[in-house]
Amino acid sequence: MTDHYDIAVVGAGPGGYVAALKAAQMGARTAIIEKHHLGGTCLNYGCIPSKALLASAELVHQMRHAGEWGVSIGGEVSFDWSQIQKRKDKVIRQLRGGVASLLKARKVTLYEGKATLDGPGRIAIELTKGGAASVTADNVILAPGSAPARIPGWPDDGRIVCTSDESVHWPDLPKKLLIVGGGVIGCEFACLTNALGVQVTVVEMLPGLLPGLDQDLGEELMTSFDKRGIACHVGTKVEDLKVSGATVTAVLTGGQKVEVDRVLVATGRRPNTAGLGLETVGIEPGRGGFITVDQYMQTPVKGYYCIGDANGQCLLAHAASAHGVAAVQNILGERKAFTAPIPGAVYTFPEIGSVGLTEQQAREQKLPIAIGRYPIAHLGKAMVTNHTEGFVKMIRHRETGELLGAHMLGHNATECIAAAGALLHQKVSMHDVAETVFAHPTISEAIKEAAEDALGAALHLPPRKIIRHVVGV
Amino acid sequence: MATITLPQAVPDMLSGTVSRWLKQVGDAVRKGEAIAEVEIEQAFIRIEAGADATLAKIYAPVGTTVEVGGALGELAPSGQAVSQPAVSKGEKPAAVAEPSGNVVPILMPQAGNSMEEGTILEWKVAEGETITEGQIICEIETDKATMEYESPHGGRLARIVVGKDETVAVKAPIALLAESDAEADAYLATLGGELPTIAPAPASEPTATTSRSRPVASAVTAGGRVKASPYAKKLAAERGVELAAVAGGSGPGGRIVAADVVAAKAGGAPAAVSPAGADGVVRRTMSKMRRAIAMNLQASKQTIPHFYLRMTFKADALFNFYRKHKPATGCTVNDVMVLAVAKAMAEMPVVRSQIDGSEIVEYPHANIGIAVGVDDGLVVPVLMGADQMSLAELPAMTKRIVEDARRGKVDNMGRGNFTITNLGMFGVEEFAAIINPPEAAILAVSALREDVIVEDGTMKPARVMTLTLSTDHRIIDGVVGAQFLARLKELLEAPEQLA
Repeated sequence: MTDHYDIAVVGAGPGGYVAALKAAQMGARTAIIEKHHLGGTCLNYGCIPSKALLASAELVHQMRHAGEWGVSIGGEVSFDWSQIQKRKDKVIRQLRGGVASLLKARKVTLYEGKATLDGPGRIAIELTKGGAASVTADNVILAPGSAPARIPGWPDDGRIVCTSDESVHWPDLPKKLLIVGGGVIGCEFACLTNALGVQVTVVEMLPGLLPGLDQDLGEELMTSFDKRGIACHVGTKVEDLKVSGATVTAVLTGGQKVEVDRVLVATGRRPNTAGLGLETVGIEPGRGGFITVDQYMQTPVKGYYCIGDANGQCLLAHAASAHGVAAVQNILGERKAFTAPIPGAVYTFPEIGSVGLTEQQAREQKLPIAIGRYPIAHLGKAMVTNHTEGFVKMIRHRETGELLGAHMLGHNATECIAAAGALLHQKVSMHDVAETVFAHPTISEAIKEAAEDALGAALHLPPRKIIRHVVGV
Repeated sequence: MATITLPQAVPDMLSGTVSRWLKQVGDAVRKGEAIAEVEIEQAFIRIEAGADATLAKIYAPVGTTVEVGGALGELAPSGQAVSQPAVSKGEKPAAVAEPSGNVVPILMPQAGNSMEEGTILEWKVAEGETITEGQIICEIETDKATMEYESPHGGRLARIVVGKDETVAVKAPIALLAESDAEADAYLATLGGELPTIAPAPASEPTATTSRSRPVASAVTAGGRVKASPYAKKLAAERGVELAAVAGGSGPGGRIVAADVVAAKAGGAPAAVSPAGADGVVRRTMSKMRRAIAMNLQASKQTIPHFYLRMTFKADALFNFYRKHKPATGCTVNDVMVLAVAKAMAEMPVVRSQIDGSEIVEYPHANIGIAVGVDDGLVVPVLMGADQMSLAELPAMTKRIVEDARRGKVDNMGRGNFTITNLGMFGVEEFAAIINPPEAAILAVSALREDVIVEDGTMKPARVMTLTLSTDHRIIDGVVGAQFLARLKELLEAPEQLA
């Protein structure tokens, strides 16, 4: 017997489970199918475990510098990696349970198994416990997520050459680590392992760390990495990799050899769109395997939607959730295009928060911009808490006065950026930001200071440079 | 003359945006004085005079972005006379002032291409008060929107020239700023009392396309400021869209955002559409035009005692006349109809009359409105003095006003005293139209068609056309209406007298 639903969601990650909850909230008969664990990559292999590990690492990092705060800890700071892992696992289990009870409370039917599309409106499920089931649905939301890219030709064992899927669950730490890829994941792991005493080398193919974010962020982060002894090679590839026994030898562009006992490949993520049966409903993945959708999250095939990593628009958990809500609203009659700005958060030490256009994007679009900057070190809160690294950068459209982008490196930047993101969503002008009153002493008030600087009117900075130009002689 | 160009002040600079002009056109500039300020990405450039000079021209007003090497303005040798400044580009409706001595006139602004006149709804300031530039001095209503007008000049308000509820053409003086009332009165006298005023429309009925309702814009705050995102304001200025006419923004809190400006046709208001309900029912906010039409026609039907006269006439002669004269004049059958109506109106003053309170106002000429269907409704441009036009002139005039109307410019709107509406092109055989207040009658023209007529007891095929005249029985009685229609039939069945 086949059960029929108004909406069936494939995948229970942050995109899928949020979509299912929204659909049930709006009164639709909803089913969700998950082949692995509730919470998807975010909960099990991404956001949650990495941030749990980073929290422990940050504490170790701070404790090692406790003297700066006038605090002394008798002896060496030590940590127990297996305890750190246990704590992380406990958090994961708690959150999985949380998602399960939310789905149950809204009466969403959960199928545990692998879903395959089986013709229009049908989904075949291979149940984890054995056996098969099938459902039909008026609408299907695909949220299969993504998986870390692996480098073809390199060993695939997951012990010596790993991806983030394995590294969040490492049973032990390496002594020397090579991180291939200086993007968000690579940089976060660099901070994590470096704080715990691992010797880290980061290799990035493009000219700077964190490509895709505003250039200034990657540049300052690299300076910070250098100070901490994280070796960075940008504009560099790993030309050759050999594993012999427990040692890995990598040859970089330019001939330099690096010897490590573990490699973390963090070069990007691929959508999980193969083996889903997409061809049975006429959906053809585009470049890179991503499924193309419009701003209503709809695929070219009526009744089929795709959200989260798999549609390639923004590979962040909160983007997937927002997509999920948008897709459900569009299915159930509230036709709304999804256009809200999505902030980026990077959990390095110090953190990074970013929303809107980067300086490079603005220049590419030939927009006339003014840039305001404020160093975190000037802030009272930064000095009293001894977190003086970083800056806030605000980008303003010179003609319309609109806030275009906000980028921040600094303590708690991932929290602070929320204010800038909210203002950007309201399409405010830089004057509006500068006129907002931020509490003192905080780190987030740097946003207001940088906004004032973008207007050439910062009170807590020396007056803006005036260049004299003489004409008519 | 020396051109002031934007220098490459820093290595990776691409452009600069003018943030301030410290001198106006015509001002003398001394060596070392600052002339203008230009903002670049992380600094300001101060443009200074290297020698005594006069600022002769400004090419890039405040807010303009110029590429490196682009021209900002011109300097002329010191002491050289320069012509009066041109008005700088801005979003505020700008009015060109012709100050004379110490009297500065404030003119009715032209807020939008199709605006021809405005009505003062309310003065916010009184004679004798001192006003500042930018102060809201009055509320002006146009056919598209109501707006609060910010004074382009500061000074002592000596005389209010156009009072509450009065209408004048754009660029006509509405107030005079002067230190003394005597100066202002003298200035008024020099205008010779020839203020281009329009006879105020009868207060009771709005015409088909004017609307006394305020714009729906919830985007207008209590203080009259239109809430719009900075980018929307810029787009609106670029596209000549009046923000006050954009009904209800889709941004947060009713704020107008760029998408609303893009959706609004210049001079029109976008209809807010609710998403289709599950049963396919769609709700849309009425556009300003639709609301105006609705109000006008409802008022017409509720106040004017309509009565109808129908007549079918033999149209072969009309048809042949049209065929004969079309090559030389480009006339249509409707053009000939208009000529016939105009001639009949010239002969019958009652049809050219209108009620105004307890008086009847008779107009000297036939000002015939032609109903034109547009996107969201209809507009009625008017052929003024159609009774004085010949077969050679009328077709071209009609063609022009119909094309203008389709583009949003309604010629002589509201000044007609008769309307002709034609649904013949759709094959409609007969219909009765609703009078367009404050007119006294409207003629509904139906399809030129072949039918069987009876002549001298025998049936024969002929071309016929049915006309239905709706008249206001308060001033046009049955007999008069019938006489008018009969005369029209005479003219149409023997149209040679119209050539």
